[in-house]
Amino acid sequence: MKRYLSNPLAIILFITPTLGLFTIFVFSSILKVFYYSFFDWNGVGTAVFTGVENYSKLFSSSTFATANANGFKFALVITVYQLFFASIFAIAVSDRRMPFRKFFRTAYFIPVVLSVTVVCQLWTSILDADNGLLNALLRAVGSDSRQNWLGSRYGAIYALAFVNAWQWMGYQFALIVAGIKSISTEYYEAAEIDGASATRAHWHVTIPLLKETYFFCLLVSVTGGIKAFTEIQIMTGGGPGTATQTLTYIMYRAAFVSHRYGYGLAAAAVLVLECLAVILLLNYLFRDREAKQLRRLAGGKP
Amino acid sequence: MKTSRKQSMGAKIFSICLWLYALVSLYPLLWMMFYSLKSNEEIFVSNPFGLPATWQWGNYVNAWTQYDVPLFFKNSLLVGAGTVLVTIFCALLFTFAISRLRWPFSRSVRTYVALGMFIPVQAIMIPVVQTVNQLGLLGTRWSLILPYAAINLSFATMVYFGFFQGIPKEMEEAACIDGANIYQTFLHIIAPLVSPATITIVIYVFLASWNEFILANVLVGGVAKLKTLPLGVLFFQGQFTTDWGSMGATMTIASIPAILVYVIFSEQVERAMTVGAAVKG
Repeated sequence: MKRYLSNPLAIILFITPTLGLFTIFVFSSILKVFYYSFFDWNGVGTAVFTGVENYSKLFSSSTFATANANGFKFALVITVYQLFFASIFAIAVSDRRMPFRKFFRTAYFIPVVLSVTVVCQLWTSILDADNGLLNALLRAVGSDSRQNWLGSRYGAIYALAFVNAWQWMGYQFALIVAGIKSISTEYYEAAEIDGASATRAHWHVTIPLLKETYFFCLLVSVTGGIKAFTEIQIMTGGGPGTATQTLTYIMYRAAFVSHRYGYGLAAAAVLVLECLAVILLLNYLFRDREAKQLRRLAGGKP
Repeated sequence: MKTSRKQSMGAKIFSICLWLYALVSLYPLLWMMFYSLKSNEEIFVSNPFGLPATWQWGNYVNAWTQYDVPLFFKNSLLVGAGTVLVTIFCALLFTFAISRLRWPFSRSVRTYVALGMFIPVQAIMIPVVQTVNQLGLLGTRWSLILPYAAINLSFATMVYFGFFQGIPKEMEEAACIDGANIYQTFLHIIAPLVSPATITIVIYVFLASWNEFILANVLVGGVAKLKTLPLGVLFFQGQFTTDWGSMGATMTIASIPAILVYVIFSEQVERAMTVGAAVKG
C-alpha cells in the first residue's frame, strides 16, 4: 500500500502542472516585483541597478502621500459601510420568521456577481454632473444640493469608495450569514431564558462569536482599500488632478503610460508590504481565538 | 403593553430600512435595464426613472449587430471555460498528490502554492504582462486563460484540500486491492467523490474570470479581437457616449449570464464566493 501511494512518476505528473503555472505566473512575478524595483528599467532595454533610488523618488513624491491618504480613506469608508450594513442585514435575514427572507438575501447579494466595469460604468452614469440620475433625482424632489460628485477634489475619493462598498457589501453580508448559521442555537435559548432582548442577545452573543468572520471581513475590506484601482481607473482616471490616485494607480501609470517599470514595481512592492502589514496587524489584534474554542465546546461547527 | 408597542414601532422602522436598502441595492440595476430599452429623449428628458414608455428593442439589435457584442461575449465565454478547465485539471491532480499520496515535502509544496492567497493581483500585473509576452502568448486567448488559472490555483487547491481530508483512506486501499492502478483510482474513485468541491470551484472561477478587469485591461485591452465583455462595456466610454440605450443594452447583456447563474444556483454561488473565508482565516 505504501508503495502504491508513493508512485514517484504519478506524483511528478500530478504536481507539475500546478507547480509550473503557479511558479511561472505568480511566484516568479512577486520575486521580479522586488528585484526590479531596484533597477531603472523601461521594460524592454537593459535594466540598470540604481539601488533604492526608485523608492526614495516614490517616497518623496507628493502623489505618494495622496495615494496613501486615499488608500486609507477608501479602506475606512468600505470597512465601516460594509461591516455596518452587512452585520445588520445578516442578523435580520438569519431570523427564520422574517417575511421575504429569500428576496432580501438576493437583493443584497446581487451586486457582487456583476462585473466591476458594469458597476463603474453604471455609477458613472448615476453620478454624472449634468445628466446623472442622482442629480436628476435631487432636482425632481426640488433640492438644489446637486453636485459634481466625481469632479470634486475632496469628495471624489469618497464617491469612488462608496461605489466599491455598494458592490461588495453583499459579499460581507453572505460571510456573516454563513457565520451566524454556524452558531449553536443554545446560546440564544440561554439568552432568552436570561430575559435578554433579541438586540442584546445579538450584541453579546452573535458579534463576539463571529470573531473569525469579522477577522476575515476586515482583512478583505482593509486590504481592498489599499489595493483600490478599478473604480479609479474607470471612473476618474485618478483625477481631478491627482486627487483620486492610489498606490496601484501610480504603479499602473508608471508602467503602462510612462514606461518607468522600475518605479512602478517599487510602488507594487510597497503595496505588497502594506497589505502584509495589515494582515500581521489584524492577526495580532485577533490573536486570541477564544470564540473558536467556545463554539467548539458548545458543539457547533468550529 | 407599552414596551411591546414601542418594539413593534421599532420593528416597523427597521423593516422600512431593510426595504430601503434593498431598493438602493437593486434600483441601479433596474434603472440600467430600463434605460437599455429607452431612447435618449426618454433617458434624459421625459422619463429618466421609470419603465420605458415605448420599448426600444432596437437598442439590443444595435448592441448585437453594431458594437461587437457577440465577439466580446464569445471571448468571455471561451476564456471563462478555458480558465475553469485548466484550473480544475491542475488543482485536482495537485491536491490528490499532496493530500493522498505519500512523499517527502508534500506539506511544504502545499504551503508554497497556498502563499498565492496573500499576493494581490494588482501587485503582479506588470511582471505577468512581461511573462505572457516572453512566452509568446500575447494576442491569443491563452494570454488570459493561463494567468487566470495560475491566480485561481491557490484558492482551488485549498478548497479541494479541505474536501479531500474528509474522504476515508480505505477508498484507495479498496481500489488497490481490487487491482486498480493509481491513475484509475484517481479518475474513477476519487475525482467523482469530490464533485461538490468541483462545483464550488467551477462557479467561483467562472464568475471571477467572466468579470475580471485588471489583468484583461493590460493583457488584451489593445487587442480588439480578444476583448472580453468587461472591456467591451468600456468601449462605449469614449466613442459612443451619445448612444446610451445601446450602452445599457450591452451592460445588460454582459450582466445577465452572471445574474442567471446566481438566481439559479444562489446557494452554491454564495458558498463559492464565501468559502475563501474558511480557507484564508
